[in-house]
Amino acid sequence: MTRFNKLVKNASVVLAIIGLGFFVYDIVIFLRLQPRMVVFDVLTQAEENLFFVTGAGLLVYLGFCISALLHIANYLRKAPEVKFRYIALVVGIVLSLLFVFSDFALMNDIVKQYRLGLSQPEWLLVYILIGFQVVTLCVYLIVQRVSLSKEVLLQQVALDSNIYLAAQYIGLVCGFMGLSFSVLGFIFPGGWNLTVHTTITMIILLIPYALAVGYWLITKIQEKKLLYDEKQLQDIGKSSFLTLIVSAAIMISLFIANYNNLAGITSMLWLPVLLFSILFLFSLGNIYFSWKE
Amino acid sequence: MELGNNIRKYRFEHGELSQQDLANAVGVTRLTIHSIETGKFNPSTLLALKIAQFFNARFEDIFFIADEENQQ
Repeated sequence: MTRFNKLVKNASVVLAIIGLGFFVYDIVIFLRLQPRMVVFDVLTQAEENLFFVTGAGLLVYLGFCISALLHIANYLRKAPEVKFRYIALVVGIVLSLLFVFSDFALMNDIVKQYRLGLSQPEWLLVYILIGFQVVTLCVYLIVQRVSLSKEVLLQQVALDSNIYLAAQYIGLVCGFMGLSFSVLGFIFPGGWNLTVHTTITMIILLIPYALAVGYWLITKIQEKKLLYDEKQLQDIGKSSFLTLIVSAAIMISLFIANYNNLAGITSMLWLPVLLFSILFLFSLGNIYFSWKE
Repeated sequence: MELGNNIRKYRFEHGELSQQDLANAVGVTRLTIHSIETGKFNPSTLLALKIAQFFNARFEDIFFIADEENQQ
Protein backbone atom coordinates (compact mmCIF):
# COMPACT_ATOMS: atom_id res chain seq x y z
CA MET A 1 0.00 0.00 0.00
CA THR A 2 1.43 3.38 -0.98
CA ARG A 3 1.73 6.24 1.51
CA PHE A 4 -1.05 8.12 -0.27
CA ASN A 5 -3.42 5.14 -0.03
CA LYS A 6 -2.63 4.73 3.67
CA LEU A 7 -3.27 8.44 4.20
CA VAL A 8 -6.63 8.24 2.39
CA LYS A 9 -7.63 5.12 4.34
CA ASN A 10 -6.71 6.65 7.71
CA ALA A 11 -8.42 9.94 6.82
CA SER A 12 -11.60 8.04 5.87
CA VAL A 13 -11.66 6.13 9.14
CA VAL A 14 -11.01 9.25 11.24
CA LEU A 15 -13.66 11.27 9.37
CA ALA A 16 -16.10 8.34 9.70
CA ILE A 17 -15.65 8.24 13.48
CA ILE A 18 -15.97 12.05 13.82
CA GLY A 19 -19.00 11.96 11.48
CA LEU A 20 -20.61 9.27 13.62
CA GLY A 21 -20.13 11.51 16.67
CA PHE A 22 -21.83 14.38 14.86
CA PHE A 23 -24.78 12.16 13.93
CA VAL A 24 -25.24 11.15 17.57
CA TYR A 25 -25.19 14.87 18.42
CA ASP A 26 -27.76 15.55 15.65
CA ILE A 27 -30.16 12.92 16.93
CA VAL A 28 -29.89 14.21 20.52
CA ILE A 29 -30.43 17.83 19.44
CA PHE A 30 -33.24 17.01 16.99
CA LEU A 31 -35.13 14.93 19.54
CA ARG A 32 -34.84 17.86 21.95
CA LEU A 33 -35.77 20.66 19.52
CA GLN A 34 -38.28 19.00 17.18
CA PRO A 35 -41.15 18.67 19.72
CA ARG A 36 -40.77 22.37 20.56
CA MET A 37 -40.42 23.55 16.94
CA VAL A 38 -43.53 21.72 15.69
CA VAL A 39 -45.61 23.55 18.34
CA PHE A 40 -43.74 26.83 17.60
CA ASP A 41 -42.22 27.18 21.05
CA VAL A 42 -39.79 30.10 21.10
CA LEU A 43 -36.17 28.95 20.76
CA THR A 44 -33.33 30.96 22.23
CA GLN A 45 -30.57 32.19 19.92
CA ALA A 46 -28.22 29.66 21.52
CA GLU A 47 -30.65 26.86 20.70
CA GLU A 48 -30.97 28.01 17.07
CA ASN A 49 -27.19 28.11 16.86
CA LEU A 50 -27.09 24.38 17.60
CA PHE A 51 -28.06 23.86 13.94
CA PHE A 52 -24.72 25.36 12.86
CA VAL A 53 -22.94 22.45 14.56
CA THR A 54 -25.18 20.10 12.57
CA GLY A 55 -24.03 21.89 9.40
CA ALA A 56 -20.39 21.47 10.42
CA GLY A 57 -21.06 17.76 10.98
CA LEU A 58 -22.50 17.44 7.49
CA LEU A 59 -19.35 19.02 6.04
CA VAL A 60 -17.28 16.41 7.91
CA TYR A 61 -19.56 13.72 6.47
CA LEU A 62 -19.08 15.17 2.98
CA GLY A 63 -15.33 14.89 3.51
CA PHE A 64 -15.76 11.29 4.67
CA CYS A 65 -17.77 10.40 1.53
CA ILE A 66 -15.13 11.80 -0.82
CA SER A 67 -12.28 10.22 1.14
CA ALA A 68 -14.02 6.81 1.37
CA LEU A 69 -14.78 6.82 -2.37
CA LEU A 70 -11.13 7.58 -3.06
CA HIS A 71 -10.09 4.76 -0.71
CA ILE A 72 -12.33 2.21 -2.46
CA ALA A 73 -11.30 3.51 -5.89
CA ASN A 74 -7.62 3.05 -4.97
CA TYR A 75 -8.42 -0.51 -3.94
CA LEU A 76 -10.44 -1.23 -7.09
CA ARG A 77 -7.55 -0.17 -9.33
CA LYS A 78 -5.47 -3.12 -8.18
CA ALA A 79 -8.26 -5.56 -7.27
CA PRO A 80 -8.31 -8.93 -9.06
CA GLU A 81 -12.06 -8.52 -9.60
CA VAL A 82 -14.92 -6.15 -8.77
CA LYS A 83 -16.83 -7.68 -5.89
CA PHE A 84 -20.52 -6.87 -5.56
CA ARG A 85 -20.21 -5.73 -1.94
CA TYR A 86 -17.72 -3.03 -2.89
CA ILE A 87 -19.90 -1.78 -5.74
CA ALA A 88 -22.89 -1.74 -3.36
CA LEU A 89 -20.78 0.24 -0.88
CA VAL A 90 -19.74 2.73 -3.59
CA VAL A 91 -23.39 3.21 -4.56
CA GLY A 92 -24.35 3.65 -0.87
CA ILE A 93 -21.63 6.25 -0.32
CA VAL A 94 -22.57 8.13 -3.51
CA LEU A 95 -26.21 8.24 -2.35
CA SER A 96 -25.12 9.39 1.11
CA LEU A 97 -23.00 12.12 -0.47
CA LEU A 98 -26.00 13.33 -2.46
CA PHE A 99 -28.16 13.18 0.67
CA VAL A 100 -25.79 15.64 2.41
CA PHE A 101 -27.13 18.34 0.08
CA SER A 102 -30.69 17.16 0.78
CA ASP A 103 -29.99 17.40 4.54
CA PHE A 104 -28.83 20.99 4.15
CA ALA A 105 -31.90 21.90 2.05
CA LEU A 106 -34.35 20.14 4.38
CA MET A 107 -32.95 21.71 7.55
CA ASN A 108 -32.96 25.10 5.90
CA ASP A 109 -36.64 24.57 5.01
CA ILE A 110 -37.47 23.40 8.54
CA VAL A 111 -35.95 26.51 10.14
CA LYS A 112 -37.64 28.81 7.59
CA GLN A 113 -41.04 27.16 8.09
CA TYR A 114 -40.66 27.30 11.88
CA ARG A 115 -39.97 31.03 11.69
CA LEU A 116 -42.99 31.56 9.42
CA GLY A 117 -45.23 29.50 11.70
CA LEU A 118 -45.75 26.72 9.14
CA SER A 119 -45.83 22.96 9.73
CA GLN A 120 -42.57 21.03 9.20
CA PRO A 121 -43.27 17.67 7.54
CA GLU A 122 -39.60 17.49 6.50
CA TRP A 123 -38.54 16.15 9.93
CA LEU A 124 -39.43 12.57 8.97
CA LEU A 125 -37.39 12.79 5.78
CA VAL A 126 -34.40 14.18 7.72
CA TYR A 127 -34.48 11.16 10.08
CA ILE A 128 -34.72 8.73 7.13
CA LEU A 129 -31.78 10.34 5.28
CA ILE A 130 -29.63 10.54 8.42
CA GLY A 131 -30.47 6.91 9.19
CA PHE A 132 -29.30 5.88 5.73
CA GLN A 133 -26.11 7.92 6.10
CA VAL A 134 -25.33 6.38 9.50
CA VAL A 135 -25.89 2.86 8.15
CA THR A 136 -23.60 3.56 5.17
CA LEU A 137 -20.93 4.95 7.47
CA CYS A 138 -21.10 1.90 9.77
CA VAL A 139 -21.05 -0.51 6.80
CA TYR A 140 -17.95 1.24 5.48
CA LEU A 141 -16.19 0.97 8.86
CA ILE A 142 -17.04 -2.74 9.10
CA VAL A 143 -16.15 -3.56 5.49
CA GLN A 144 -12.85 -1.73 5.58
CA ARG A 145 -11.93 -3.43 8.87
CA VAL A 146 -13.15 -6.96 8.10
CA SER A 147 -12.62 -7.26 4.38
CA LEU A 148 -11.13 -4.33 2.45
CA SER A 149 -7.87 -4.08 4.38
CA LYS A 150 -7.28 -7.85 4.02
CA GLU A 151 -7.72 -8.13 0.26
CA VAL A 152 -4.72 -9.28 -1.75
CA LEU A 153 -4.06 -6.77 -4.51
CA LEU A 154 -2.37 -7.30 -7.87
CA GLN A 155 1.16 -6.03 -8.34
CA GLN A 156 0.47 -4.61 -11.77
CA VAL A 157 -2.60 -3.82 -13.86
CA ALA A 158 -1.66 -2.67 -17.36
CA LEU A 159 -5.11 -1.56 -18.41
CA ASP A 160 -7.72 -1.04 -15.73
CA SER A 161 -11.37 -1.99 -16.11
CA ASN A 162 -12.57 -1.82 -12.50
CA ILE A 163 -12.58 1.97 -12.22
CA TYR A 164 -14.25 2.15 -15.61
CA LEU A 165 -17.01 -0.17 -14.33
CA ALA A 166 -17.32 1.67 -11.00
CA ALA A 167 -17.79 4.94 -12.93
CA GLN A 168 -20.61 3.28 -14.90
CA TYR A 169 -22.34 2.22 -11.66
CA ILE A 170 -22.06 5.77 -10.33
CA GLY A 171 -23.47 7.06 -13.64
CA LEU A 172 -26.35 4.61 -13.28
CA VAL A 173 -27.19 5.87 -9.77
CA CYS A 174 -26.85 9.56 -10.66
CA GLY A 175 -28.88 9.06 -13.86
CA PHE A 176 -31.63 7.23 -12.00
CA MET A 177 -31.81 9.86 -9.26
CA GLY A 178 -31.86 12.69 -11.80
CA LEU A 179 -34.64 11.00 -13.74
CA SER A 180 -36.63 10.37 -10.56
CA PHE A 181 -36.26 13.99 -9.55
CA SER A 182 -37.37 15.17 -13.01
CA VAL A 183 -40.42 12.88 -12.94
CA LEU A 184 -41.31 14.30 -9.49
CA GLY A 185 -41.16 17.75 -11.12
CA PHE A 186 -43.83 16.66 -13.61
CA ILE A 187 -46.01 15.12 -10.88
CA PHE A 188 -45.70 18.06 -8.44
CA PRO A 189 -45.09 21.09 -10.68
CA GLY A 190 -45.80 23.54 -7.85
CA GLY A 191 -43.70 21.65 -5.32
CA TRP A 192 -40.61 23.80 -5.67
CA ASN A 193 -39.00 26.61 -7.60
CA LEU A 194 -38.30 24.80 -10.85
CA THR A 195 -35.70 27.13 -12.32
CA VAL A 196 -33.50 27.26 -9.22
CA HIS A 197 -33.99 23.72 -7.95
CA THR A 198 -33.67 22.05 -11.35
CA THR A 199 -30.38 23.82 -11.97
CA ILE A 200 -29.00 23.05 -8.50
CA THR A 201 -30.13 19.41 -8.66
CA MET A 202 -28.56 18.92 -12.06
CA ILE A 203 -25.24 20.28 -10.86
CA ILE A 204 -25.28 18.30 -7.59
CA LEU A 205 -26.30 15.03 -9.22
CA LEU A 206 -23.60 15.32 -11.84
CA ILE A 207 -20.82 15.90 -9.26
CA PRO A 208 -20.28 12.22 -8.28
CA TYR A 209 -20.25 11.12 -11.91
CA ALA A 210 -17.86 13.93 -12.85
CA LEU A 211 -15.57 12.94 -9.94
CA ALA A 212 -15.64 9.27 -10.98
CA VAL A 213 -14.91 10.02 -14.63
CA GLY A 214 -12.23 12.51 -13.59
CA TYR A 215 -10.54 9.89 -11.40
CA TRP A 216 -10.78 7.34 -14.21
CA LEU A 217 -9.19 9.83 -16.63
CA ILE A 218 -6.32 10.43 -14.18
CA THR A 219 -5.69 6.66 -13.95
CA LYS A 220 -5.67 6.49 -17.76
CA ILE A 221 -3.16 9.33 -18.01
CA GLN A 222 -0.96 7.49 -15.48
CA GLU A 223 -1.21 4.26 -17.49
CA LYS A 224 -0.07 6.19 -20.62
CA LYS A 225 -2.09 3.81 -22.80
CA LEU A 226 -5.33 3.91 -24.75
CA LEU A 227 -8.47 5.10 -22.98
CA TYR A 228 -10.29 1.89 -23.89
CA ASP A 229 -9.30 -1.51 -25.15
CA GLU A 230 -11.11 -3.02 -28.15
CA LYS A 231 -13.75 -4.89 -26.14
CA GLN A 232 -14.64 -1.75 -24.17
CA LEU A 233 -14.84 0.21 -27.43
CA GLN A 234 -17.27 -2.37 -28.82
CA ASP A 235 -19.37 -2.22 -25.62
CA ILE A 236 -19.42 1.59 -25.75
CA GLY A 237 -20.48 1.46 -29.41
CA LYS A 238 -23.43 -0.82 -28.63
CA SER A 239 -24.37 1.18 -25.57
CA SER A 240 -24.20 4.46 -27.52
CA PHE A 241 -26.45 3.04 -30.24
CA LEU A 242 -29.01 1.92 -27.65
CA THR A 243 -28.83 5.34 -25.97
CA LEU A 244 -29.25 7.13 -29.32
CA ILE A 245 -32.40 5.20 -30.22
CA VAL A 246 -34.10 5.58 -26.82
CA SER A 247 -33.06 9.20 -26.28
CA ALA A 248 -34.36 10.13 -29.76
CA ALA A 249 -37.75 8.66 -28.79
CA ILE A 250 -37.65 10.59 -25.48
CA MET A 251 -36.74 13.80 -27.33
CA ILE A 252 -39.67 13.38 -29.74
CA SER A 253 -42.05 12.77 -26.81
CA LEU A 254 -40.76 15.88 -25.03
CA PHE A 255 -41.10 17.93 -28.21
CA ILE A 256 -44.73 16.86 -28.62
CA ALA A 257 -45.46 17.60 -24.93
CA ASN A 258 -43.81 21.01 -25.20
CA TYR A 259 -45.42 21.87 -28.58
CA ASN A 260 -48.89 21.63 -27.10
CA ASN A 261 -48.00 23.76 -24.07
CA LEU A 262 -45.07 26.07 -24.78
CA ALA A 263 -45.20 27.81 -21.41
CA GLY A 264 -45.61 24.51 -19.56
CA ILE A 265 -43.34 22.59 -17.28
CA THR A 266 -41.69 20.66 -20.14
CA SER A 267 -39.98 23.85 -21.31
CA MET A 268 -37.92 23.68 -18.08
CA LEU A 269 -37.65 19.95 -17.43
CA TRP A 270 -36.78 18.70 -20.93
CA LEU A 271 -33.05 19.17 -20.33
CA PRO A 272 -32.74 17.18 -17.06
CA VAL A 273 -35.02 14.45 -18.45
CA LEU A 274 -32.90 14.10 -21.58
CA LEU A 275 -29.55 14.50 -19.83
CA PHE A 276 -30.23 11.99 -17.06
CA SER A 277 -31.91 9.54 -19.46
CA ILE A 278 -28.76 9.55 -21.56
CA LEU A 279 -26.55 9.11 -18.49
CA PHE A 280 -28.74 6.30 -17.14
CA LEU A 281 -29.05 4.41 -20.44
CA PHE A 282 -25.42 4.79 -21.41
CA SER A 283 -24.19 3.56 -18.02
CA LEU A 284 -26.72 0.72 -17.95
CA GLY A 285 -25.71 -0.35 -21.47
CA ASN A 286 -22.02 -0.32 -20.63
CA ILE A 287 -22.55 -2.43 -17.51
CA TYR A 288 -24.80 -4.88 -19.34
CA PHE A 289 -22.46 -5.37 -22.29
CA SER A 290 -19.40 -5.59 -20.03
CA TRP A 291 -20.81 -8.46 -17.97
CA LYS A 292 -23.04 -10.25 -20.43
CA GLU A 293 -20.86 -10.28 -23.54
CA MET B 1 -19.45 -20.33 -37.59
CA GLU B 2 -17.59 -19.17 -34.49
CA LEU B 3 -14.03 -18.38 -33.56
CA GLY B 4 -12.78 -20.93 -31.05
CA ASN B 5 -9.55 -20.67 -29.09
CA ASN B 6 -7.14 -22.56 -26.89
CA ILE B 7 -6.09 -19.62 -24.74
CA ARG B 8 -7.11 -21.30 -21.51
CA LYS B 9 -5.07 -24.38 -22.37
CA TYR B 10 -2.03 -22.27 -23.30
CA ARG B 11 -2.34 -20.22 -20.12
CA PHE B 12 -2.19 -23.36 -18.01
CA GLU B 13 0.72 -24.71 -20.01
CA HIS B 14 2.55 -21.47 -19.27
CA GLY B 15 2.72 -21.97 -15.53
CA GLU B 16 -0.99 -21.40 -14.85
CA LEU B 17 -0.74 -17.85 -16.07
CA SER B 18 -3.65 -15.72 -14.83
CA GLN B 19 -6.00 -13.83 -17.15
CA GLN B 20 -4.71 -10.59 -15.62
CA ASP B 21 -1.08 -11.50 -16.44
CA LEU B 22 -2.00 -12.26 -20.04
CA ALA B 23 -4.05 -9.06 -20.21
CA ASN B 24 -1.07 -7.06 -18.91
CA ALA B 25 1.22 -8.68 -21.48
CA VAL B 26 -0.96 -7.89 -24.50
CA GLY B 27 -2.30 -4.54 -23.20
CA VAL B 28 -6.00 -5.20 -22.71
CA THR B 29 -8.27 -5.56 -19.68
CA ARG B 30 -8.82 -8.83 -17.83
CA LEU B 31 -12.48 -8.78 -18.84
CA THR B 32 -11.48 -8.75 -22.51
CA ILE B 33 -9.33 -11.88 -22.08
CA HIS B 34 -12.21 -13.51 -20.20
CA SER B 35 -14.65 -12.63 -23.01
CA ILE B 36 -12.30 -14.00 -25.68
CA GLU B 37 -11.75 -17.24 -23.77
CA THR B 38 -15.47 -17.80 -23.33
CA GLY B 39 -16.13 -17.04 -27.02
CA LYS B 40 -18.23 -13.95 -26.30
CA PHE B 41 -15.87 -11.57 -28.05
CA ASN B 42 -13.84 -11.97 -31.24
CA PRO B 43 -10.47 -10.22 -30.93
CA SER B 44 -9.01 -8.05 -33.68
CA THR B 45 -6.33 -9.57 -35.89
CA LEU B 46 -3.71 -7.49 -34.10
CA LEU B 47 -4.75 -8.68 -30.64
CA ALA B 48 -5.04 -12.30 -31.78
CA LEU B 49 -1.51 -12.10 -33.23
CA LYS B 50 -0.21 -10.49 -30.04
CA ILE B 51 -1.66 -13.36 -28.00
CA ALA B 52 -0.13 -15.95 -30.34
CA GLN B 53 3.21 -14.14 -30.23
CA PHE B 54 3.11 -14.01 -26.44
CA PHE B 55 2.68 -17.79 -26.24
CA ASN B 56 5.31 -18.24 -28.94
CA ALA B 57 2.78 -20.22 -30.97
CA ARG B 58 1.28 -20.03 -34.43
CA PHE B 59 -1.94 -18.13 -34.86
CA GLU B 60 -3.86 -21.24 -35.94
CA ASP B 61 -2.64 -23.21 -32.92
CA ILE B 62 -4.52 -20.84 -30.66
CA PHE B 63 -7.46 -19.71 -32.81
CA PHE B 64 -9.65 -21.89 -35.03
CA ILE B 65 -13.09 -21.86 -36.63
CA ALA B 66 -15.20 -23.85 -34.18
CA ASP B 67 -17.51 -25.52 -36.76
CA GLU B 68 -14.64 -26.77 -38.90
CA GLU B 69 -12.90 -28.09 -35.84
CA ASN B 70 -15.97 -30.09 -34.93
CA GLN B 71 -16.17 -31.58 -38.43
CA GLN B 72 -12.53 -32.72 -38.40
